[in-house]
Amino acid sequence: MKDEVKIILDICDKILLKNVDHHLRLNLEPNSTQFKTLKNEIISSELTKLLVKEDLGGAGMTLTDIIPIVQLSAQYGTPIPFIETIISNFLLSELNIKAENDFITLTNKTENILIKKDKISGIFKSIPYLNLAEKILVETEIKNQKYIILFKKGGKLKLQKNFLSEPKFDLDASELEIISMMEKPEQMDVQNLLINVRSIQSFGAMEKILKLCIEYCSQRKQFGRTLSKFQMIQNHISEIALEVAASGASLSTLKNNNINFYNLKSTAIPKIRTGIASGKVVALSHQVHGAMGFTKEYELSYFTKALNSWRNEFGNEIYWQNILGKLFLNQNKNLWEFLNH
Amino acid sequence: MTYFNFPHIEEDENLKNLRNDVKSFLKTTFNSNNIKPQADAWMYSANPEFSKKLGEKGWLGMSFPKKYGGREKTMLERYVITEELLVAGAPVAAHWIADRQSGSQIIRYGTEEQKKEIIPKISSGECFFAIGMSEPDSGSDLASVKTFAKKTADGWELTGRKIWSTGAHLSHYMIVLARTEKLDEKNRHSGLSQFLVNLKLPGVEINPIEDMTHQKHFNETVFNNVKLNKDALLGEEGMGWQQVVGELALERSGPERFLSHYILLDNFISEFRYKMSEMGITSLGKIISELQTLRMMSFSIAWMIQEKKSPDVQAAFVKEAGNVFEKKLIETIREMSNLIPFEEWSSSLKSLFQDATLRIPANSLRGGTSEIMRGIISKQLGLR
Repeated sequence: MKDEVKIILDICDKILLKNVDHHLRLNLEPNSTQFKTLKNEIISSELTKLLVKEDLGGAGMTLTDIIPIVQLSAQYGTPIPFIETIISNFLLSELNIKAENDFITLTNKTENILIKKDKISGIFKSIPYLNLAEKILVETEIKNQKYIILFKKGGKLKLQKNFLSEPKFDLDASELEIISMMEKPEQMDVQNLLINVRSIQSFGAMEKILKLCIEYCSQRKQFGRTLSKFQMIQNHISEIALEVAASGASLSTLKNNNINFYNLKSTAIPKIRTGIASGKVVALSHQVHGAMGFTKEYELSYFTKALNSWRNEFGNEIYWQNILGKLFLNQNKNLWEFLNH
Repeated sequence: MTYFNFPHIEEDENLKNLRNDVKSFLKTTFNSNNIKPQADAWMYSANPEFSKKLGEKGWLGMSFPKKYGGREKTMLERYVITEELLVAGAPVAAHWIADRQSGSQIIRYGTEEQKKEIIPKISSGECFFAIGMSEPDSGSDLASVKTFAKKTADGWELTGRKIWSTGAHLSHYMIVLARTEKLDEKNRHSGLSQFLVNLKLPGVEINPIEDMTHQKHFNETVFNNVKLNKDALLGEEGMGWQQVVGELALERSGPERFLSHYILLDNFISEFRYKMSEMGITSLGKIISELQTLRMMSFSIAWMIQEKKSPDVQAAFVKEAGNVFEKKLIETIREMSNLIPFEEWSSSLKSLFQDATLRIPANSLRGGTSEIMRGIISKQLGLR
């Protein structure tokens, strides 16, 4: 790991350790002091500009560099549009647009988009943390041309009926103020980028779940001994560890360079592997925790709900298995050649 | 909070070129010597002539020092060669254990004489080893071995029985784990030592054991008061347990833990590439993702070994994840063939499939059972 990444990771760790807890997750309000303090510390330490080019005032880090930061944020179960803002600012920076000093959230699910002068109208769906962001970045298509558009939040937010951790909103917007609008370059694949972020976050969340399982089983006693001494429990936890380790290793496909964040094969492998792991880790970790894990008050469910949400986004792992299978079969290579290229 | 790190290691141009060299060599050698690819070849397919050819190419003893006949290449180079041999189903069983683990144990713990005597022969593909760990009453519980080496005026006298010793009938040596002190129940891992035993010595008896596939690749090896010289001791007296743990990391982390039956997968795809259903293609995508992940884990461990780290737990992960993967392989092939009746398969593919079905139950036993792997992981997590 590069020294600069270690430094940033340390700063990030201190801020999240101080400000993020289960109380924040359960009582998340834009006007709460806890949220405002966290937001202020993240924005003022410029953590949302890690991927912004240096000549645009950012840290100039690469997507590969920020993998451990995305992972750390997920380990903390950070319930704010922190990573969404990092990614939005990255996309803006790629288009040579200056980063914003606010929280931005993003989506590529849009309908009936209409641009009139500097105003945007339309329907925007599944926007995470829209209640906590000031601006929205969208990838959308207008008359066969794809655009990246940043605009100010407004209109009516509709909270999706969502049993999962992060609040997601639909927005029916009418004539909201556009801040920037650019044609999307061909090589910029927003969806792949978002899928990769979810794979990294899933790995981070699973690491946290493993930690919770170990701690819980080392403290709780039944039949006169701690749960950790029961071989069946050890077996469950070692299986969780195995899935966590494999998920982490699958992210290697993203670590060569930025280009891999836009490469279908590099995206599919961790998407599938973390998706498979998520299903197992959720089931086993709840089994290990018993009734306690089923309560809202205990934090396990925050992470298991997040995993259940993320593995279904942008097509579940079974959908991606089919994509990867076809990607291979269409290349007219033998399997070994496909794996080595 | 990261519990088990598998650092990302890039395959550079040098390694890519090496892959191509190995591929061309195998193609030529298979053709000119009429060698047929085999599944599980590192266990079942021994060909001393082929081993010698690999030695001549400089592809054995890769990481050993040049002064002992080694090549001073990296573990990553060795890894690439190993993968290519497995994927081709090459007949590597004769030299496999010597090259994978016994040579490294001698380099690490052996005397100067032992290194000079044995390492050049391993590197040239002319010296083969068997593993001397399990016993009839000591399988997973290795610390309970009863084979005893008694100190004598001239050296040691070895008595006991080892079992499941793969390839002992073809091997020149065995590294034997033996008690050199009586078992202390309070400190079961003490009083063990490793010995370098020449299998041609008087008193050594090798009896084949037929496995459920009707093959005789493993054996019972009996030591009847075998007289060993002083210099047969490998490493330090009483440190056998510590030494054997490192040896197990070498044994468990390699790509043979998930590529043993690769040629079945490859042959199936070649035969039915254009006949697979949507379900079959979906299963194929899953196996690609899992296989590539395992390769990254194993490649990363090769780098850790190269960097003198101790990836014992990571090795347990690869071993166990590899077992799970290979066990699922049969079911995956069945899913991939959901619209292709078995009767339509070629006889060679049927044969590979049936072999794999028979052999795969051994995967989660050899080199440490799944239960032991999970125990190692639990211990590392502080649960034991």
